Amino acid sequence: MLVSLDERDRIVAIEGDPENPATGGRVCLKGLAYAQRQSDPARLLAPLRRRRDGRGFEPVGWDEALEEIARRLVRLRDESGPLAALYYEGSGSHGALGGLAEAFWRQFGGCTRTHGDLCWPAGLEATRLTYGANLHNHPRLTVESRLVVVWGHNPAETNVHQWRLILDAQSRGARLVVIDPRRTDSTDAADLHVQPKPGTDAALALGIARIVVDEGLEDAAMLRAHAHGFAQYRARLADYPVQRVAEITGVGASTVRELALEYGRVKPALLIAGFGLQRHHHAGQAMRAVALLPALTGNVGVPGGGWQYANLASHCLRPLPLPPEPPARRSVPVSRLAASLETLDAPPIRAAWIERANPGSQNPAAPRLRRALEALDLVVVVDQFMTPTAELAHFVLPAKTLFEEEDLVTAYWHPYLQWRARIVEPPGTVRPETEIWRALSQRLGLDTSWFPGDREAFLRGLLPEPSEARLDELKKRPMDLSGLGDVAFADRRFPTPSGKIEFASDQAAERWGVDRIPGYVALGEGSESPLRSRFPLQLLSCKTRERIHSQFGSLAWVRGVERPHALDIHPDDAGPRGVQDGARVAVWNERGRIELRARLTPGIRPGVVHVLEGRCHEGDPDVNALVAEGVTDMNHGATFYECLVEVAPV
Amino acid sequence: MSGEHAGSAAGRGARSPGAGFTLDLHRCVGCGACVLACRIENGRTGTAPWRRVVPVNLVRRLAGPTYFLSVACHHCDKPACLAGCPSRAYEKRADGVVLHHAERCLGCRYCEMACPFGAPQYDRDRGIVSKCTLCAPRLDDGRLPACVTACPTGALQLAPPGRDTGGEALRDVPGFVDPAGCGPSLRFRAPAGARREQLFRALQEAMAR
Repeated sequence: MLVSLDERDRIVAIEGDPENPATGGRVCLKGLAYAQRQSDPARLLAPLRRRRDGRGFEPVGWDEALEEIARRLVRLRDESGPLAALYYEGSGSHGALGGLAEAFWRQFGGCTRTHGDLCWPAGLEATRLTYGANLHNHPRLTVESRLVVVWGHNPAETNVHQWRLILDAQSRGARLVVIDPRRTDSTDAADLHVQPKPGTDAALALGIARIVVDEGLEDAAMLRAHAHGFAQYRARLADYPVQRVAEITGVGASTVRELALEYGRVKPALLIAGFGLQRHHHAGQAMRAVALLPALTGNVGVPGGGWQYANLASHCLRPLPLPPEPPARRSVPVSRLAASLETLDAPPIRAAWIERANPGSQNPAAPRLRRALEALDLVVVVDQFMTPTAELAHFVLPAKTLFEEEDLVTAYWHPYLQWRARIVEPPGTVRPETEIWRALSQRLGLDTSWFPGDREAFLRGLLPEPSEARLDELKKRPMDLSGLGDVAFADRRFPTPSGKIEFASDQAAERWGVDRIPGYVALGEGSESPLRSRFPLQLLSCKTRERIHSQFGSLAWVRGVERPHALDIHPDDAGPRGVQDGARVAVWNERGRIELRARLTPGIRPGVVHVLEGRCHEGDPDVNALVAEGVTDMNHGATFYECLVEVAPV
Repeated sequence: MSGEHAGSAAGRGARSPGAGFTLDLHRCVGCGACVLACRIENGRTGTAPWRRVVPVNLVRRLAGPTYFLSVACHHCDKPACLAGCPSRAYEKRADGVVLHHAERCLGCRYCEMACPFGAPQYDRDRGIVSKCTLCAPRLDDGRLPACVTACPTGALQLAPPGRDTGGEALRDVPGFVDPAGCGPSLRFRAPAGARREQLFRALQEAMAR
């Protein structure tokens, strides 16, 4: 992005970088809003300490704050051991330097950390098991597609740069199919919109595969040469006749057939999967089932085709230099943070340090998590703004923004590594997190040489081939340093155990205890669940264009253009419940209850309701109060979209 | 304008003398980046915006898709604001841009009443009116308007003066009328075939309500 400064070196405007081939020199709403975020009056500019009477915060100097934090951490370590401290980091404003907190904690003697990820890990693992790596074609090849299938994803809102390319493909004659239980801005542009019941994607994918194979539309030559376990997979397809698939998914048999024939026949076809269909317990297996469709139809290693989920081509940096790992390590699944805080023993968690994250609003079971955090002896939150999490802290330390420290930034859709320049000095007494860790290390008498003095030299050392020239080039434009080329798997080499695309995966069975062949498993809280007698509606809490989760929500600019917060509900579900358009309703299950306004929309699938996530400002309801702390079948993901609720007027 | 009129030859945009916006209705996702970019560029973060996004069928009625009309001043051929201004605060430049000169504005708000598109905004604090300048300072600098630069999907574009909007660009779509004969310079692009019929039906329905 290009940043304009005024005569007093304040950031006034942001535009897209024409040198960035992924964005075409454009920015999204959030990119523009960074200008306001930078100088928003609510931004934290100095450390805060909870007042002794517990009522709010008072300003405190850095020295005093760090001295007290250091003293309390050391006391806690002496009494309970280092694992009594939890270090929790999110991905807000993240760069390579974010990982340096580990240099402190390793020298501290270890700490309790989290593993897994709230966002996308089941899909990552499913893709890795299937193709061996999370890579996909360069985004610009999207326009060469003749058929784009967008599955569980709403790029018109959540990846507008990808959306521009999809529209370009469409204007060049490609057909667009969008699979989503909701009607969205993306489905509205589609030539075909398929609305399955949430959590039934595996059945839909296997139903499509069955028709493709029955019609002889599979790429037999490709499968012979590059598929592992295809015969067993094909035998399994017998379980998915179209009538059964239609019953499970709620998608008409003729639509399943239409979709299968189109996907089987049109080449090249691009399948873009979102994170939405892997936020339930059987997410990994579902994603494997969907990810195999491009392999079945010969769309892998082809420009304009492919499986597009995650592109980690830019994740090519060398590992951070860190002190040796201490013997004491402990880690809990990130989606079970509340339960972990409540139940961990030997030692129990007594302190938490939270950076670049707002778990008190964004994690499953958020209210329980807030209560658990409140009960700790010490909570330190580093953030740019007050959040529901920061409100619970004993110390809130002000965080830098992305304009205030050099860093290297990787991506997960395009292949570019980017240099993030320091454009302005941090305002007030704000200092980068690396400096906070250095200062704290100093107070504990730890080795501070792990924290870079010369950031540029340090970051250069992280490049795959460290050199002045490379860094100078990188400062001018985003670069693809992966050396992988634009077409993923063009050479048909798949870094799986078999060296082939794995329709059957021993690794899946060994690592995660799931079936070698992906199949459909009904959700514990889904369309076939007995719990539906009490909580009949499936709740989705999807992402919105105005936010990156709970970020940006405090900004007047963003609030000025965003839509009112509401529960989307189908008139067929609203009618019998006496729910009127615009009326206040309660949404509840055994875990929690929220209140907000209802918005009747015939666009959503009956039996499904929807609330945008990431809203935790000015009394917004806490949708994660309703969400269980489930863990996905693979790779420790969260199960946000496996959530049954009931709705009634208040 | 009537429904059967829409999209017919009479509704097509012929050569327009002045600069103006073109909005692709299929590409606009209503994200509001144009609104925000306008606010930032023109220092209007706390006041009524010059540009706004009008959603059509936001609740997603089944009859048609949801569309968004991103609109600001249309820099009309015959600007009603200019004609109605007693203090000659308005100027129509040779390149078509309609400018409002704050120093001449009396704050009488006649332009606000005259403009059928709601473009002039009255700023209570300053006691005068203001409106979209098509980012004239940027145009004079050889740059595109801030809203156009910001549009992430390329839905909002600038057609320069003397442009030939071609056979595809539409002067009228249902829901966008020119009741006072001002000759707004805004042109639309819309998808073809059945999708266009769907779009126009949705727009008409929205208009009827």
